[in-house]
Amino acid sequence: MSALAPPRARTAPRFEPRARRLPLGLVSLAAGAVLWEVVGRAAGVPFFPPLSEVVATLAAMTANGEILGNLLVSLGNLALGFAVSLAAGLVVGTAMGRYRRVKAALGVYVYALLTAPALVFAPIFFSVLGPGQSSIVAVVFMYSAFIMIVTTADAVEQVPAHLVEMARSYGANEWQLVTRVILPAASPTILAGVRLGMGRAVTGMINGEMFIAVTGLGRIVTQAGKSFDGAAVLAILLVVIAVALASVALVQFVDRRLTGWVPDTAKESR
Amino acid sequence: MTAYPTRAPRWKRVLDSDRSYRLLTFAVFAAVWEVYGTFWGGLLIPTFTETAAAFADLLRTAAFWDALWVSNQALLLGFACAVAVGVPLGVLLGRFRLLERLTDVYLNILLVTPMAAIIPLLIMSVGFGLLSRVILVALFAVVMVVVNVRTGVRQVDPGLIQMARSFGASERQLWRDVLIPGALPAIMTGIRLGLGRAVTGMVIVELLMVSLALGGLILQFRGTFNAAGLYAVIAAVLIESLLLIALAQRLERLIAPWASTHQQGKARR
Amino acid sequence: MIEISGLRKTFTGQDGAPVQALGGVDLTVRDDEFLTVLGPSGCGKTTMLKMIAGLQTWDAGEITVGGRPVRGPGPDRSMVFQNFALLPWATVLDNVAFGLRLKGVGKAERTERARDLIAKVGLAGFESKRPGELSGGMQQRVGIARALAVEPQVLLMDEPFGAVDEQTRRLLQEELLAIWEANRLTVVFITHSMEEAVLLGDRVVLMSARPGQIAEIVDVPLDRPRSSDVGGLERSREYVEITAHLWDRLRDMHEEHRAAPSEQAVR
Repeated sequence: MSALAPPRARTAPRFEPRARRLPLGLVSLAAGAVLWEVVGRAAGVPFFPPLSEVVATLAAMTANGEILGNLLVSLGNLALGFAVSLAAGLVVGTAMGRYRRVKAALGVYVYALLTAPALVFAPIFFSVLGPGQSSIVAVVFMYSAFIMIVTTADAVEQVPAHLVEMARSYGANEWQLVTRVILPAASPTILAGVRLGMGRAVTGMINGEMFIAVTGLGRIVTQAGKSFDGAAVLAILLVVIAVALASVALVQFVDRRLTGWVPDTAKESR
Repeated sequence: MTAYPTRAPRWKRVLDSDRSYRLLTFAVFAAVWEVYGTFWGGLLIPTFTETAAAFADLLRTAAFWDALWVSNQALLLGFACAVAVGVPLGVLLGRFRLLERLTDVYLNILLVTPMAAIIPLLIMSVGFGLLSRVILVALFAVVMVVVNVRTGVRQVDPGLIQMARSFGASERQLWRDVLIPGALPAIMTGIRLGLGRAVTGMVIVELLMVSLALGGLILQFRGTFNAAGLYAVIAAVLIESLLLIALAQRLERLIAPWASTHQQGKARR
Repeated sequence: MIEISGLRKTFTGQDGAPVQALGGVDLTVRDDEFLTVLGPSGCGKTTMLKMIAGLQTWDAGEITVGGRPVRGPGPDRSMVFQNFALLPWATVLDNVAFGLRLKGVGKAERTERARDLIAKVGLAGFESKRPGELSGGMQQRVGIARALAVEPQVLLMDEPFGAVDEQTRRLLQEELLAIWEANRLTVVFITHSMEEAVLLGDRVVLMSARPGQIAEIVDVPLDRPRSSDVGGLERSREYVEITAHLWDRLRDMHEEHRAAPSEQAVR
């Protein structure tokens, strides 16, 4: 069957859906918005207000500065927690991927913490670090660090042996080997892990803030819930989704800049 | 560079084994905790041994087992709902391109949305009861199940489908003999990851929403400054979640032993 | 230039049983000699090359290069790899300059030397391309330029043309001959092709497997430079005779293997 088809037919379908997907996604989003509006108006319940009401609330909360101030606080928590996680992910992950003994010593614990519900540690941070920014940063760390450690370790382990051998044959020392060969070669996979870590960091930020409940978007969403203001809850949720999508997009932007050398065929498979 | 013995002496190999490094890490962690708790811990940080003792005590109290049961009710029901809804939905999305393209945006958004933020809405709508806990656990797990099942169905080798068609397989036979077995590893992966998310949902619900069951115990111990008790409950939650996830992994290997690890890596978040 | 004496190495095989990769190899490589090493897979030829490069340890014996015992990789030797081992994220220029950069050569100087060598292997104009944009033959030209850029005394080549198609292989052989004949240095060249071994080498070392040992060393009395008339050379009587002799020996080895099928191949 396939032998009869012209050779071009094989590559063409790969581009077609990509060109169509964006409009279709937009159509789908628009339909969802209309549906939300209609159901919200028809239901008339406080916990599911129509989209227009949510947008109006969002505009009002933005105008009085409630959103912006808390958003900045939240972004600060996110940036700090994510930066610490990223540093730990790169250092610990590289060490685990490169040295058998480090992997033996830390492997099981890292995997356990990766799968464990990270928020259980929040009460511990609360009692040790107090109800401040450091507790929230610690929660963000628990959410995002381990996925980055694990993917970095995997990525470093999968660096082709012949590249390492080549660098050693030119007299590379351990530092040169890691910085000039191993990390660049591992970077596409590492960045895939960083993207996951960023998504988890946003979750950690909100959950941490909701638990500690003194600062940020997490606090105002809890407050809005306590005062039964459904529109405000959804308005803040929209902001949180925007933060999540934007921060993941940021990682993807950096990814494209750093790993432009990866052939397209290899990229599609991951 | 030259001659070195290929086999180290036995004691050296035992000491250099993975297990000894693993134990060493735990020993160092426990020792540092013990020393820190003893000298700088004060009222808020118990020592390692105090926590271990409190954990042993906790296992002997009826209140703990009651709390565990109440917590797991929500987990069980919510997770069952997530699988019952998620697997068929994922299969549909994997088989029909148009449906998949329409829902792709929403799944991508849901994957990055912190579900905890809808807790206030849940309380407003269905209150503090079992139902809201079940809904939240199900919401946590279902996205993961759908996404992985969808990927699994889509990844089934098109060559196999053509092969089955060439033997005259009907759509029903195609499903029974090719698509479902082919997607089974990914389905199991989705169920395992979904269970992990369900456990997370259970914990979050109790910490952020309802002060009952295990989460209630945590808040109660915190209120009475029973630090060792607090840490013991947290340890119990951790242990339970790790046991459940290990169980799911065992089950996955039992049902779909040919599942390759790289496939899991691709679909997981 | 290179002295190898009593070189032995035993690996632990997949089933835990020891596999003797090298069973006492003695070999002398002369100054500025082009030595080709030929043998069936599993004869330990690549293992031996990696030991000369200082990338692989051995159990007994000694290797000296220029009188100094080998204790690890050194600037006097550089290696060309079968699968090119280019950095996929780096440009051709940066790949060729890689060894110089590790040695701490300044940017201006290493760029100049790299450009020089890129021109020499016929890749001028491709300096800012990445390996993914090049054909296999061009990639290996980059590998050769990188190895020559550090100005080694010894060039170690591990089946460098094994991963390219036949026509490209012929072109690369001629180009390598031309480069080497214009600028001589000691070369140890591993191959599994008899024609390649005879065409390039001053001597052909024939190795046998299980354990890896030198079976025979064959002189190749063909005139140099050979790069100018490869076709005529291949029709010459000496070339045909040596190739036929090597084939006889290799076929015998192959039949011995079949007599003992239980042993596994090691690389």
